[in-house]
Amino acid sequence: MRILRNLAQALRGLRLNKGNTLLMTLGVMIGIASLTVIVAIGEGTKSKVLNRIANLGFGPESFSVYSGAGRLFFGRNRNVTSMTLQDVDDIRAMPGVAIVVPRQRKRMRIINKKEFTTTRIYGVSPEWQPARQWKVVDGEFFNDMDMDRKRKVVVLGNTPARKLFGETDPLGKKIRVGQVFFEVIGLLETKGLTESGYDPDDRALIPLTTSMSRLFRQTHLHSIKVVSTHSEVVQQTMEGVTQVLRRNHGLSPLADDDFRFVTPEGIMQWVTESEQALNRMLLLISTVSLLVGGIVIMNILLVSIRERIREIGVRRCFGARRSDITQQFLFESVLVSLLGGAMGAMLGWVLSTALKHFDFLPARITLEPFILAFGFSMLVGLIFGIHPARKAACLSPDETIR
Amino acid sequence: MSISKIIEVDSINKTYKNEGLETNVLKGVSISVEEGDYISIIGPSGSGKSTLMTILGCLNQATSGTYLLDGEEVGKLGDRDLSRIRNEKIGFVFQAFHLLPGVSAFDNVMIPLIYCNKTPADAIERVKRALARVGLEHRMDHTPGQLSGGEQQRVTIARSLINDPKIVLADEPTGNLDSKNGAEIMNAFDHLNAEGRTIIVITHDPVVSEHARRILTLRDGEIVSDKINENFKESRAGLARTTIE
Repeated sequence: MRILRNLAQALRGLRLNKGNTLLMTLGVMIGIASLTVIVAIGEGTKSKVLNRIANLGFGPESFSVYSGAGRLFFGRNRNVTSMTLQDVDDIRAMPGVAIVVPRQRKRMRIINKKEFTTTRIYGVSPEWQPARQWKVVDGEFFNDMDMDRKRKVVVLGNTPARKLFGETDPLGKKIRVGQVFFEVIGLLETKGLTESGYDPDDRALIPLTTSMSRLFRQTHLHSIKVVSTHSEVVQQTMEGVTQVLRRNHGLSPLADDDFRFVTPEGIMQWVTESEQALNRMLLLISTVSLLVGGIVIMNILLVSIRERIREIGVRRCFGARRSDITQQFLFESVLVSLLGGAMGAMLGWVLSTALKHFDFLPARITLEPFILAFGFSMLVGLIFGIHPARKAACLSPDETIR
Repeated sequence: MSISKIIEVDSINKTYKNEGLETNVLKGVSISVEEGDYISIIGPSGSGKSTLMTILGCLNQATSGTYLLDGEEVGKLGDRDLSRIRNEKIGFVFQAFHLLPGVSAFDNVMIPLIYCNKTPADAIERVKRALARVGLEHRMDHTPGQLSGGEQQRVTIARSLINDPKIVLADEPTGNLDSKNGAEIMNAFDHLNAEGRTIIVITHDPVVSEHARRILTLRDGEIVSDKINENFKESRAGLARTTIE
């Protein structure tokens, strides 16, 4: 087979021009390595986010409704005061609703003698705990009596507890928020950082009545968490909540909602969309880097053809057709590109494994980027090899031999 | 010796165009060569002998005129057929050897066999035999850089013969060699001719041209003389005593 003989000549050409071969592989190697690493990080982040959502106890039967228009956790207007306890009572009265948790929220500085830290303070009802299913590891959660008496008690997340009390036991101690002193009655189980850097443990919970009358001194709510009886009725419940809130807030039929829903599906969709954005960027990065790799191959091959003009001439003199020369140089560029791709995939695999091993970034190694790497590098070799190969083949034999 | 014509060149012209300037390098050159003949084409530099060599070697085509090589009209052939003719019918020997650097003598001699339509089953044996004929069987694995000039030129002769071509076309084969090695190479050509192979040697050196039976002189793109070499019989007679090595 003539084509196989040309392949063998291409291999010999690469072996004889090791320096050029190595240089040519570099661009593709870097491109493919970054591609595999970025894919691995993307996959790793996705799977961690999914795990985290599952960990939040955000079951399929629950959702939250936040005050103010916008999307998910990103409100457009922070000064909406329309959400009140009236809304909570009306939602609680709806069929198919199991638990309703009203919430107020503010970032404030909390102080223990000389130690202080800024954390998110939530004013919630005692149903928060069963709705959220977040264990109290030490002490206990506040109850209805604490609510009724507007008692100044607080349940701390791990982060402020650690910052204020270090190794000592915070239970029974007093902390100060603004001018109000609170007694620590419970500690929440530690959840750990999410991938986006969000710290769920950075919070302090106080009874809603206390926050309304003693701390925040406001009656409007930040959000309401709703747990329905079954996941099948969630959609229906959300529609009901929309009607109740629009009516209570006195919105005209043409006005936009002044509240927004946060659902597990919504978060999932958001994750998916971010992932698509990531994929688009990834495609751009790898296209650019492989383009650069391809141009490197093309240029080195063009220079190398000038260096090897005698070789081309000799081959032509002894019977090589134009197509033989084209094939040989095309094989060289494809082989070099595949070699670069293989080296890049290996490097990418090593880097991803290292990232995972040292817990630097989440990484999950999948087969797809490696298959992609093979295809891409083959394509790069073909596309950027064709011009030099044709150029080599079209040199007239009498000129190459002089 | 058969009297069939292997090369028939009839009034070929070759014009190069360079930046709008036309240069007539060959002006109506006609040559006919019988099979088994030994020809030298002599002329000063700029006489067009290199151009004539590339046309005879099917590396280039004439602007006008006809060229019949072994019955085929070269001027009408495309790249595939020209490549086939170069592969099967012509063995080239160059002044600068043109061996692939870094490639062993064995693999250099192998090159024409790569581009055969069908690689012969005894390819390895043939390469070994060809190298043995030029006395280099013990240096098969050496690269050109490890061989002397004379040895390199002997490798090119082995390479030119590997496909058993009808014509050996040599362009200044002794130009890069000292006189002793040059004489050895010319001896080799004498032997090949004695075996019945057609040899065409292009040179500017009268000593080299004296080996041929027929001497053509080229000047300014025209053949100015075409004479039989009277000393040829003597040199031929002397062949019996000399060997290639």
